[in-house]
Amino acid sequence: MELLIKNGAVFDPKNGIAGDKTDISIKDGKIVDKVSTKASVIDAGGRLVMPGGVDAHSHIAGAKVNVGRIMRPEDTRSGIKPRTKLTRPCTGYTVPNVYAMGYRYAQMGYTTVFEAAQAIMKARHTHEELEEIPIIDKGALTLFGSNWPTMDFVREKDMDKLAAYVAWGLLASRGFGVKVVNPGGGEMWGYGKNVSGLDDVVPNFDVTPRDIIISLMKVNEMLGLPHSLHLHCNNLGKPGNYRTTLATLELAKQVKPSKDRQVMHVTHIAFNAMGGTNWMDFESKADEIANFLNNSENITTDMGQVIFGSATSMTADGPWQYTLSKLVHGKWSNGDVELEDASGVVPVTYYRQAISHAAMWASGLELALLTKDPYKVLLTTDHPNGGPFVNYSEVIALLMSSKKRQEEIKTLPPVFNERTKLPGINRELDFNEIAIMTRAGSSKVLGLLETKGHLGAGADGDVAIYDIKPDQIDPSVEHVKIKSAFSSAAYTIKGGEVVVKDGQITATPMGRTFWVDASVPGEHTEVMMKDIRNKFKNYYSIGLANYMVQDAYLTHPKVVKAGVVPVEVS
Amino acid sequence: MQTVTIKPKKEIKISVEAENISPDKFAGKSEKDIQSLEAYLGNHKTTLGELFSIKVEGRGAAADTKIVMEGNFSRVKRIGEGMSAGLIMIKGNVDMHLGTKMSGGKITLSGNADSWAGREMKGGELIIEGSAGYYLGAGYRGETCGMRGGKITVMGSALDFLGEHMCGGEIIVKGNAGILAGISNNGGKIVIEGNTSRPGSEMAKGTIIINGAVAEMMPVFKLEGTEAVDGVTYKKYTGDVIVGGKGVLYVK
Repeated sequence: MELLIKNGAVFDPKNGIAGDKTDISIKDGKIVDKVSTKASVIDAGGRLVMPGGVDAHSHIAGAKVNVGRIMRPEDTRSGIKPRTKLTRPCTGYTVPNVYAMGYRYAQMGYTTVFEAAQAIMKARHTHEELEEIPIIDKGALTLFGSNWPTMDFVREKDMDKLAAYVAWGLLASRGFGVKVVNPGGGEMWGYGKNVSGLDDVVPNFDVTPRDIIISLMKVNEMLGLPHSLHLHCNNLGKPGNYRTTLATLELAKQVKPSKDRQVMHVTHIAFNAMGGTNWMDFESKADEIANFLNNSENITTDMGQVIFGSATSMTADGPWQYTLSKLVHGKWSNGDVELEDASGVVPVTYYRQAISHAAMWASGLELALLTKDPYKVLLTTDHPNGGPFVNYSEVIALLMSSKKRQEEIKTLPPVFNERTKLPGINRELDFNEIAIMTRAGSSKVLGLLETKGHLGAGADGDVAIYDIKPDQIDPSVEHVKIKSAFSSAAYTIKGGEVVVKDGQITATPMGRTFWVDASVPGEHTEVMMKDIRNKFKNYYSIGLANYMVQDAYLTHPKVVKAGVVPVEVS
Repeated sequence: MQTVTIKPKKEIKISVEAENISPDKFAGKSEKDIQSLEAYLGNHKTTLGELFSIKVEGRGAAADTKIVMEGNFSRVKRIGEGMSAGLIMIKGNVDMHLGTKMSGGKITLSGNADSWAGREMKGGELIIEGSAGYYLGAGYRGETCGMRGGKITVMGSALDFLGEHMCGGEIIVKGNAGILAGISNNGGKIVIEGNTSRPGSEMAKGTIIINGAVAEMMPVFKLEGTEAVDGVTYKKYTGDVIVGGKGVLYVK
């Protein structure tokens, strides 16, 4: 099957194409240099062409997403769309059903999305949902930060064993990368407590969040995993937490990357860039974080942009979710994954009138606008924590138009101007920078830039065409058009197949699930498994044989190989 | 003035979704137009004209539209959904969701209403001369706000959870009420003339007045002494103390 996209104004940052009229050829699902005359042709007519969108952090599948659905029947009342001959029924806004996840991402021009957190023990559920999400390619990051074996091996300072455990954990969960959420905090929550910084000692394990982060960074690079450590910092959501965040970012200097990417990805930073001492004098300190990013290498972040309105907060950060539920007097669901994690789900509404919400809204934007290199800040809403992913077009419009930002600021409380730097920021991102934050950057952060996020030969045939002509539009003024174009793609092409035309689904192929098979020396695995078998014998409520996700749960797998490589530690 | 008369063509055994029976939907429309409005019989899409005989006299805006329904509508749901003006007079019984989300106008029902009558009602008036089912004037599943305004009067009795998550408006039940009237309410006023049990738990704001007997009180209210309301002396309770609530419960 061949496809030729003609006359597109192409933005392909990886290959240095910024708005040039370039033809894109796709054959058998891959971008090629040339196709034959038999190829079907799409005339983009000067419209904006980008690689298919890539989201490196979104909660689209798994136990906590489903808890969100169960807790929020009221959410299911919105977004209802009956089935058609082609598509299955859709429901929900912050916690859509599985089908809507795939359709809505594809309708925005996104073709690859990574679920940001799965506990190994709950991974089977994640994959059951991933297998039902149509169209998009996906994968899931596996939680390692509060796992008992992790903390044991960190205390023993046995990096070989820890590497073997991470490799085995990725296999057990068919996971793509190492996610760490409030390291140590998940275990402390078992006792109704939390860690308050990098140097609190986790009882019974005698390790600190600092030890956990550094050790997992090291083994991540030892294993040469495609993605780096993916970190949800300690103290998330607490006023004054930007100091913890800055101290955490410093840790990245201690490990050198094994690949051309960061060693630490700090996620949804809007929730970690808070100044002040309480919710009354709360202010955004995103400028300090951006300043740090501008002067450092090897660290990337994503925005976790807050969207005013309904959201559902869901995270493995159990203690924070409890605090949040008390703050908003809302529903709260608590989860405990034995030996591995805590978790919680809390529905929230972000109000313009609440200065703390407005300042959080500002800090995501500030971070993106004050950080010079767009490769360092990806565009996310930490769906559905900051707001549902369907609002990416709103975020793009905000980033591209200072005028739109000023219009929004007018609707916020006057004290807003004292709590953030946003009103004074005039920078407006261009299409190339947006393409980096939503495509090339996220692919690079995930370690998938070879096949994702660009339009050079060899890349996956994932393309988005938007109904705007970059040379004829002033995004600063016409931000309404920008928003509407990015919310509904003129074409989304997935693996060379047109899956969306004029915002409507036209085909629903199944995407693949990426996971990483990392090899370690057999003797390391043997030593490690002795400990694991003991844990199962003594503590786990299920047997080891029932723990691993079987291949049957991944009917469209895409295995990425990795393995032990030497790592330089300075 | 526009008067629309609706009668079932034959006995309806399968539930009908009839949210199109509303003065807002009928206003200014001809008999034919109203007959062709959509309705669901079970999962089968049909029209109002297929199910009901419909007669129209005159033309008018929603506020001048009167719908007269005669017969057995006990399987017909969502009558008057979201109506903002006009009048619906029903001589018979109805199924669930009568007058749900209505914001104005008036519905009178001579028979009984099934559950969820006046759900998430914002304004207007709903008079049920028979009895009401569960969740009268309540919020829907998961919502934090049920009835926000308007007035519901039930001449008979009502079943459990009436006024659940109520945020405003007024509900008067002349007969008895089931358990947990006004559960999780956050405003509004409920008056129960008859007997009930365990009223007002998780109540944050709002007022509940009970003139009959209360079989059992939830142990989450604080007795504040006695107080006279409209010349009648009640024991006054506040709570629910567990949620720091400022609701007021008057019990004889």
